[in-house]
Amino acid sequence: MTFLAKPSVRHRKLKLNELGLSHRDYEGPVSTLCAGCGHDSVSAAITTACAELSLPPHRFAKISGIGCSSKTPSYFLDKSHGFNSVHGRMPSVATGTSLANRDLHLIGVSGDGDSASIGLGQFAHIVRRRINMLYIVDNNGTYGLTKGQFSATNDQGSTNKRGVPNLYASIDLVSVAMQLGATFVARSFSGDKSQLVPLIKAGLKHPGFAFIDVISPCVAFNNHEGSTKSYNYVRDHDSQVVNADLVLPQAEITTNYAPGEQENVTMPDGSILRLSKLASEYDPRDRLAALNYVQSKAEVGEIVTGLLYIDPDSSDCHTIMNTTEQALNELDESVLCPGEASLAEINASFR
Amino acid sequence: MLNWDSNVFPGILGRTCDRPCEPACRRVRAEDTPVAICRLKRVAADYKGDIQRYLPTIPSTKNGKRVALLGAGPASLAVARDLMPLGYEVHIFDRGVAGGGMMRSQIPAFRLPEKVLNEEVDLVLDMGVECHFDYEIDSMKNMLSQQFDAYFIGTGAPRGRDLDIPGRNECSEHISIGIDWLSSVAFEHVDSIKGKVIVLGGGNTAMDCCRTSRRLGAESVHVVVRSGFEVMKASDWEKEDAMAEGIPITNNRPPLEFVHENGKLKGILFQCIEQVEDENGRLKSVPTGEPDVFMEADHVLLAIGQENYCPWIERDLGIAFDKWDCPELHEETLQSTLDNVFFGGDSAFGPENIIQASALAHKAAISIDLFCRGKDVLKDRPVAGLRLSSTKMGMHEWSYDSNYDESVRHAVPQVDSGLALRDIKVEVELGFDEKLGLEEAQRCLNCDVQTVFTEQLCIECDACVDICPMDCITFTPNAEETELRASLKIPAENIEQALYVSEALKTDRVMVKDEDVCLHCGLCAERCPTNAWDMQTSVIQVPSLAVPSLPLTEEG
Amino acid sequence: MIKYNDFVIRFANVNGSGSASANNMFAKALFRMGIPLAIRNLFPSNIQGLPTWFEVRVSEAGFVGRREGADIMVAMNAETYAEDIESILPGGYLLYDASKPLAKELHRSDITEIGIPIAAMLLDEFSDPKQRSLFKNVVYLGVLSKLLNMDFEVLSDMVHVSYRGKDQLIRPNIAALEIGRKYASDNLTSPLPLQVRHSDAVGDRILVDGNTASGLGFVYGGATVCAWYPITPSTSAVEAFESYANSMRIDKQTGRKNFAIIQAEDELASIGMVIGSGWNGARSFTATSGPGISLMSEFLGLAYFAEIPAVILDVQRTGPSTGMPTRTQQSDLLAAAYASHGDTKHVLLIPSTPVECFEFSAESLDLADRLQTPVLIMSDLELGMNESISEPFTWDDESKYDRGKVLDKAGLDDIERFGRYLDPDGDGIGTRTLPGTHPSKGAFFTRGTSRDSYAAYTEDPEHYVANMQRLELKWKTAAGLVPAPEIDTRANGEYGLIYYGTSALPMPEAIQHLKDAGIEIDLMRIRAFPFSEVVFDFVESHTQVFIVEQNRDAQLKTLLVTEGSINPAKLPSILYYGGLSITAEFISSELISFFEKTASPRISEVK
Repeated sequence: MTFLAKPSVRHRKLKLNELGLSHRDYEGPVSTLCAGCGHDSVSAAITTACAELSLPPHRFAKISGIGCSSKTPSYFLDKSHGFNSVHGRMPSVATGTSLANRDLHLIGVSGDGDSASIGLGQFAHIVRRRINMLYIVDNNGTYGLTKGQFSATNDQGSTNKRGVPNLYASIDLVSVAMQLGATFVARSFSGDKSQLVPLIKAGLKHPGFAFIDVISPCVAFNNHEGSTKSYNYVRDHDSQVVNADLVLPQAEITTNYAPGEQENVTMPDGSILRLSKLASEYDPRDRLAALNYVQSKAEVGEIVTGLLYIDPDSSDCHTIMNTTEQALNELDESVLCPGEASLAEINASFR
Repeated sequence: MLNWDSNVFPGILGRTCDRPCEPACRRVRAEDTPVAICRLKRVAADYKGDIQRYLPTIPSTKNGKRVALLGAGPASLAVARDLMPLGYEVHIFDRGVAGGGMMRSQIPAFRLPEKVLNEEVDLVLDMGVECHFDYEIDSMKNMLSQQFDAYFIGTGAPRGRDLDIPGRNECSEHISIGIDWLSSVAFEHVDSIKGKVIVLGGGNTAMDCCRTSRRLGAESVHVVVRSGFEVMKASDWEKEDAMAEGIPITNNRPPLEFVHENGKLKGILFQCIEQVEDENGRLKSVPTGEPDVFMEADHVLLAIGQENYCPWIERDLGIAFDKWDCPELHEETLQSTLDNVFFGGDSAFGPENIIQASALAHKAAISIDLFCRGKDVLKDRPVAGLRLSSTKMGMHEWSYDSNYDESVRHAVPQVDSGLALRDIKVEVELGFDEKLGLEEAQRCLNCDVQTVFTEQLCIECDACVDICPMDCITFTPNAEETELRASLKIPAENIEQALYVSEALKTDRVMVKDEDVCLHCGLCAERCPTNAWDMQTSVIQVPSLAVPSLPLTEEG
Repeated sequence: MIKYNDFVIRFANVNGSGSASANNMFAKALFRMGIPLAIRNLFPSNIQGLPTWFEVRVSEAGFVGRREGADIMVAMNAETYAEDIESILPGGYLLYDASKPLAKELHRSDITEIGIPIAAMLLDEFSDPKQRSLFKNVVYLGVLSKLLNMDFEVLSDMVHVSYRGKDQLIRPNIAALEIGRKYASDNLTSPLPLQVRHSDAVGDRILVDGNTASGLGFVYGGATVCAWYPITPSTSAVEAFESYANSMRIDKQTGRKNFAIIQAEDELASIGMVIGSGWNGARSFTATSGPGISLMSEFLGLAYFAEIPAVILDVQRTGPSTGMPTRTQQSDLLAAAYASHGDTKHVLLIPSTPVECFEFSAESLDLADRLQTPVLIMSDLELGMNESISEPFTWDDESKYDRGKVLDKAGLDDIERFGRYLDPDGDGIGTRTLPGTHPSKGAFFTRGTSRDSYAAYTEDPEHYVANMQRLELKWKTAAGLVPAPEIDTRANGEYGLIYYGTSALPMPEAIQHLKDAGIEIDLMRIRAFPFSEVVFDFVESHTQVFIVEQNRDAQLKTLLVTEGSINPAKLPSILYYGGLSITAEFISSELISFFEKTASPRISEVK
């Protein structure tokens, strides 16, 4: 960590979004995580994505559990409320938030311990419930705050800093998410913002539950030779399948793509999610094939990254429940209270 | 002492400098106002305490070389300061009664108290300089005949430019040349000015004239400038100070005629112009077509420029002059075409300022020293250099104040304006006190501390990219400079400032840093997990006789 | 001598045999005749095949607490014949299915045995064995109507009401009733000396269970989010909420719901969702029982320290795990009051009647918002799942929800600097903001206690202590806001009696017993925790104060002793914890024996 504040002074030519804000307006105070922590890059990617989408920086809710990853919501979007809840239970607090105010942009940040171990149950169920949110796991395969124990996403055979191998099978969160019916599943790498930022943007715009598993190296406990979550290992074994780029409705399409297959997916607000395939045989709309691809690549030690699966016709929990369009926390007694008159009838039913 | 070594006149310059350093201050790349460097020099001088024991010792046994310095202004004094400690026998000649030159004659006491001036002039003269005051230098030939080993001409640009328009000669009684008038005030030949005063001109002399008039009892004072407000040569703060004293400045009014009645000045007729951009985007003056304007005046002070003027240098001595009547000099050595004659100050390249005079004097002093020792004044000059050393002390700990101070430039406290306007000797600016001075100094962006990047250590975690408050670090595929500049997080548009580009990294990308906007806050190094970034302090060595050479580690 | 409107009738059935609806019709018919009564269901943790009992206490005097022993036993479960017959009071009546003769050893000479060949009679009427089994229950109702001299029209109306919309079931039900009634007319001496008759003792009161009342209270109180995990005996509260919300909270124009209910994956998730919603200013609740409270404890502590409104309906039962999860107790008090790690304490509301379930449920949402803290409603199985006579529900249409101190955008514009954990009014309650309110002000990071009054992270002891002291002050504020105790000091004696929750049901009867024994005692029914000064004054002003509780460890006494620094010896306990609800007899006999043992001169002359 550092006790120095990041000065508010900024570059004069900083790019401003439609709200006249720069990415600096989406930041938070300086991180207290270790220097070089991948999680900080994820936070930076979130600020960039939110700024590029021109979303009002106070209209987010940031929810997290416990762990290094869960500290990060302090360090971005400081105009928004954040909630550092209890270990492994971020999904339930996020669910409550979504139920209460469906108009907020909801970002949940969790870690591999938080989501794959203590919170695996809540993770599974929030996927099922399709809460409209962006769920990011800062996945470093280790317990940082308790100094380097293996987490459940640590690959079998990968070693800790002292060279001791992990004996147990790992949980692959993207596979779990796809299996449980998530409608937006991606994996990325904290060291590759060119891939991560567009994925975050697409995830924020996705109408339903969007999950991004971000491999985010722990420089203190899991960035050594023998780790499969180190900067070097991930760079050497990264197998990118589909890059996503979100083009806002009003934006001119100017991005140039390297040759390859491209596909446009129209989002509900009219923005276009442009998918460019880096692996030509990969179809991000075929859930079973995607699952199969991810697993078979994992067998040979490759980490598949990119937008792995998307169901463009997805819906969220509120749609499923047929909740009113107005945020529930805005309703008052005129709508909520049936009043004395109805009680007469109710009392009569008990006589 | 650092202050004195290079500036020679910290107390004087800390009050009167034109501050060429401040526009260059890196702070303006981050926000609008530079660090108040000038006034900080003053604070340093104000609070210097007793410096006697730090002063150089003057050898009692001289080295046998005699040097004549013509003029006792800042340039000559600076040369004297550099040469005296080396054992030279230095003679100063000046027509004035005391040292200081224009600092004494042209800068009003309310900006520069005599005490400060005397102290800093005496610091030099007390080194044992032979002073020849009240000495009218009327012939260079005579001077040369006195057989000095070297001559330094620092007589300045003593002639105020005149204005040749109708009526000038008829009412010359009511028209004064600004610098001459200021000088008369300084030496107390003039102690009042009556009626309505118009000051013509837009430079600092004009500002001094108008503010002095205000103090000497003028009924009204008005500054009229030929050009637009923005292009006036006076420093912004001088204009502000004048206006703060209630002196109006009227722009875009070239004078046409001094209107008089039988030699009694009535006023000035002005043309009305405006500044318009031509097709090249340059401003040019165009008459507006409005009728000419007449402004009443009982006295006019001309402050429309100064000129080199050395008619006393006979043109057959081997000292060549160019077509603008300036001496032909070697730019670096300041040697004239007569090899034992050197120039400095305004005499060298025309009217500049005191700090420029000091800088030239340092150079000239080196040349004189080399010349007197029989060395080559060009080839044997010491070179500029740079020395780097890490400032990292530990986690979060740097040996310099790395954090960016968010405060805006502090205003310099001033005396009550009523008091200031009553007495010409009351210094307007009180100067920073120690606390305010230290606070202002915190605004410094530590240009001496450099970011140094070591490719082999970098793991490309992006921590530096994310933390940089100026977004000046980018990891990107390498490219030609123009393309590279455009591909940065924020394009680097100041092409005068070189980019800092690393060798290729593991991902084949390079680290590119736009040095133009770097705050030297050290956050990149702070957040770097592998020490690939380091903050290293650099000491730049500018050659000078006064400063001993440091061992150099790198060419600068 | 004929006794009117004063007996206990118990139906012993087999779980899943369809007896519940028949038994309910019976009870409701009596209630409609204007007779005060209470229903108790005793059921196993099972869906089908295990024994279940349905008991109705009919009391013109309004004594509706549980009473030991049955006056009439309708024994329809061969498996429990022995214990059922044993539980009949001497002089009581046994109805049984005489299609098979009663085993010899079961006969009792001190009761009247009434055998009815129900199954045999139905053999002719219904060929389907399932229907036979179903209508068996209705036949004994027909018999009872005759034996007890019930208003048959009221009973047959009940059939119409119960099967409204399933008209094809009305006729066979009526037919089955008629079969039983006819059998009784033809073969039995009726009516019995135990009879019912129309009364006006009910007045405008209603017969309802506490969970239904709670569910309704949450609708009225403005709850919009309910997250829950099924657990007996709380489930029916959520079902009631859902049912009422579905009928009264659907937007007529759009057909969309003005509420959201999530059946969570566990209690940890349900409380998490409630806290998430509460953090955003939506009124939310969960319903659970003791095991759920255990699971929610971590989150409850977070909500306490993070100061987030949440409402938890705890319908208490015996615990833990399996065992007697379908039996009632007041044994979660301590666990709820101090749930979680760290110095935590929670507001408890303790209802005694269905109408209080309704009122406290609605009020708990106001209190949670006002106090920015979890509020737990401590109901129990006895109250939650059993119907009993209650004052009708009322609502003041003029009343507004108290949303507590929430700054909106305009409010934020008006202040210089927002500090979430400041104490602007000196009541220990800070001002909160909801996510998304203001572009530049009022956002804060919610976490446990590692923060200063501006919600900035700190581990400074001074900030921690200051915060804890403010929470303590808030606790004092809470004591003045929660429902006050009900106090009856008419006895003006040296002795007091404290009771709470469902111990209130047998209390009038117990007091009558005491009066009969010449004992007068002052009463206080505690309705909430923290205790107000009034509570401690009551204890202070009596020499000795008995506390009636339905748990082993005298949990309310522990709270009183702890919070009021009271000498425990001053507070003798009367504790019942068998899993059934406490009886008047238990309470009065314990007290009487206490006074007898101490040979207290304070017992007045027996009248």
